Amino acid sequence: MVGAGGIGCELLKNLVLSHVGEIHIVDLDSITLSNLNRQFLFRQKDIDKSKSLTVAEAVEAFNYLNVKLVPHHGNIMDSDLFPVSWWSEFSYVFNALDNLEARRYVNQICLYLKKPLMESGTTGYDGQVQPIYPYVSECFDCQPKATPKSFPVCTIRSTPSQPVHCITWAKEFLFAQIFDETSTNDQSEADRANQRRKLESETEDKAEIENMLRENDEFNELRNIVKSKTSTKDSNFFEVLVNKIFSTDIERLLRIDSLWKSRRKPTPLRIESYTKALKELSAERSAKDIVVDETRVWSVLENLFVLQAASSALHERLASSESFISFDKDDDDTLNFVVASANIRAFIFGIELKSKFDIKQIAGNIIPAIATTNAIIAGFSCLAYLNYFNQITSSDSFHKAFSSSSTIFTSIRPNKYITSAALIEPSKKCPSCSHARGILRFSPEDLNNMTLEGLIQLIRDHYGFDDDISVILGKSKLIYDYDLEDNLQKKLTEINGFKAGETLLIQDESDALENLELYIDTNTSGKTLFPTLKLKEKQMDNDGENKDEDMPEQGEVISLDDDEVVELDEPVETRKRGKESLDGSSKKAKL
Amino acid sequence: MGTQLRLRSTKILLINLGAIGSEVVKNLVLGGINSLEIMDSSKLKEEDFSSQFFLPDKPENIGKLKVPLVIDQIKDLNNRVNLTINTATFESVFDYEDRANDYLSNFDLIIATEMPKAFMIQLNSYTRKLNIPLYVAGMHGMFGYVLLDLIKHTSVVTKDMGNQPRRPNTKINSNKLISDVSYDEKEKKENITIIDTYKPISEMFSSKELPNQLNRRQLKRLSAAFPLIFTLFDVEKPVYIEDSLDVDMLREKASLVCEKHDIPTAVITDEYLNFFSRQAFTEFAPVAALIGGCLAQDVIQYLSKKESPINNCLIVDTIRSEMPIYVL
Ligand SMILES: [Zn+2]
Repeated sequence: MVGAGGIGCELLKNLVLSHVGEIHIVDLDSITLSNLNRQFLFRQKDIDKSKSLTVAEAVEAFNYLNVKLVPHHGNIMDSDLFPVSWWSEFSYVFNALDNLEARRYVNQICLYLKKPLMESGTTGYDGQVQPIYPYVSECFDCQPKATPKSFPVCTIRSTPSQPVHCITWAKEFLFAQIFDETSTNDQSEADRANQRRKLESETEDKAEIENMLRENDEFNELRNIVKSKTSTKDSNFFEVLVNKIFSTDIERLLRIDSLWKSRRKPTPLRIESYTKALKELSAERSAKDIVVDETRVWSVLENLFVLQAASSALHERLASSESFISFDKDDDDTLNFVVASANIRAFIFGIELKSKFDIKQIAGNIIPAIATTNAIIAGFSCLAYLNYFNQITSSDSFHKAFSSSSTIFTSIRPNKYITSAALIEPSKKCPSCSHARGILRFSPEDLNNMTLEGLIQLIRDHYGFDDDISVILGKSKLIYDYDLEDNLQKKLTEINGFKAGETLLIQDESDALENLELYIDTNTSGKTLFPTLKLKEKQMDNDGENKDEDMPEQGEVISLDDDEVVELDEPVETRKRGKESLDGSSKKAKL
Repeated sequence: MGTQLRLRSTKILLINLGAIGSEVVKNLVLGGINSLEIMDSSKLKEEDFSSQFFLPDKPENIGKLKVPLVIDQIKDLNNRVNLTINTATFESVFDYEDRANDYLSNFDLIIATEMPKAFMIQLNSYTRKLNIPLYVAGMHGMFGYVLLDLIKHTSVVTKDMGNQPRRPNTKINSNKLISDVSYDEKEKKENITIIDTYKPISEMFSSKELPNQLNRRQLKRLSAAFPLIFTLFDVEKPVYIEDSLDVDMLREKASLVCEKHDIPTAVITDEYLNFFSRQAFTEFAPVAALIGGCLAQDVIQYLSKKESPINNCLIVDTIRSEMPIYVL
């Protein structure tokens, strides 16, 4: 099980209760406060501990059937930690990951080893499970995925360059720190040390780290001001806030020279120069109309005015009834606060300001994970796995499972809770499963002594390529083609990066045979072994295209003749989604 | 009032903490429910260990009252949750109208799992009078159900605009009505006010609504899960849960259920009869996770008033990977 987050916690519970023999859990993350409210195996006391180790320990509480649990704290893409020999021990792989790169990697490994893989993902109320039977059903890469938007912490906290950076800062950081529940007030020394360690993993700039830590302390002070029950009239919350975030913090950033070597410097806001105008504006009757003018980009002064009004409204709410306030794009106080603070920050950094309407769209797009969706998806994930094991026969279990499994989406309608669709065959245009793959196991002797020329000759002999091939090592390093013969006489170990855990992509430049990808591994006990593969002749692109556009005949989604029932949902969108579900491209949303 | 605040101030009663109950409790507590009472007079049984993850791993507890054993584990999920337990038997509270009304009126919402039909109907008659929304759920191995009587509920759902604007006074189905629509042209959104009306659960057992909402083809390929689940409401739970139910008895009763609901008896297949004969009343962790996930999600959406809840019968069939919602 790769990933011990929202889906992972739920899935592990189901697998343990379903009496699976042995489960290995891999995750590289540590537990943060925000995990606690959707990941039920984690407690306050576990914050900053390893997720994988913690879940393995936590499920022991109900490991009634003595399932063997083996946690691994590490990056699943680390081939030293998790070599192919480690992977080959498993009979089934679950992806419970939220990151695209790792999901792709696991997908590739499962293709190399022909391991069944259960893909799962959720976004808000939407969730999906997709069983993958390598080369028999669609793999994770068969449908193109949109790249998820996430930004390094340092870009958000110190060096924004786009409006979205400022909006993310205002919503996820500023607002959350001051008003939301997800912040601890009293930080122990240990917490601070952990926080420091975390920041150190993201930037090497000592000064920047110190700066961020100090900022945190000051946010706690701000939080204490809004939390105190003093009348909002007497409070200087707005002044303290503006001075801190738009002046002091910026000046502090400016002192870190390393940040500004190749960047435009920000200009701290001089609030004094706005005080008079702000007072005058506040006195105007029309001022309250600014916030409803959602499509016009407000001036800096107007943003300050909105920020002042929103700050005092939020402060008032905390002082009267609410113990914390979460950002909600439909809660106007929270939205106004985020819009105004994001815009003023953008102004300071010389970034384009945005309208409230635009910011609402951008801020609203960051969809939170929902615990119940994770629970439902993890239930299906476990069931699909059990179904697979009931189907296994001596041979051809993938084909058998292919026809008895389905991709399942949660899509709540008045007349059904989920939509399931039959699996489809791999896409002929898939960059991952449209070509042959295998594991090339070198004897230590060959790995040390063989030349690249020797290897290429062996590859030709084994797979029938003619002369015109190219070889790419790893992601993009070309080590041989008709134009590049420099490496031919080198020993393999002399080629930079040639080692176990890497891959070789062999392309037939004459386009006769399909591409071949070999995973480099060592075979300590014996000879060099080439994988037994029969390369197919290269398919013309057109064939694939026609096939892909054919709508599969089977599946629930097409029979979406829910008549009047569909009315609740926008009809066109419903149909489109149905189609997307079938061709799998709605997976985009899940990333 | 914001959704979070509403969740925090809602007092929920959960009756029977089995596999589904455990899932529901976990999800509600994670979801922000702050006040919860669990009513369960059962004693710990061996089979509980197959799917109830709050139990301490101590077989020597078998035979003891179950809920006191799990309270610490649940509190551990969120120490702020105000959790209370009640180990009184159902009869001792609900056989007396005054006592029942006094007790139930403490709660804003009630969830009952694995309830015998007679108790379910009795409970529902109280919740109706007290105007308290009620969820009922149960499972049989790979199958399960959620029945809802939320009496009457109004929600305002925001949707993207379609080609055709939605119009007020449109029926989505016989129990769901779009009463009002406001349009947000700028954001291309519609705010749709939906009124859900519910009927008493007792009436679902004799509902002839299915042929009105399914076309002939849909009726023909209806899963046998629905009639068989309804059949088991009238079958006594065996003393030994591993005991299979008599297939012929099931077939006969299921045919009557089909006739009662005006659905073709041909939907009953041997395959499904065998499943239900072997799995009746058994708990299965991943299926409990599904049902408990949907139920808790619906409760949270109900309280948020931003989504229209399930109305009124959700059937879970994990063999076919189907979860239809019927208006009974
Ligand atoms: Zn593929």
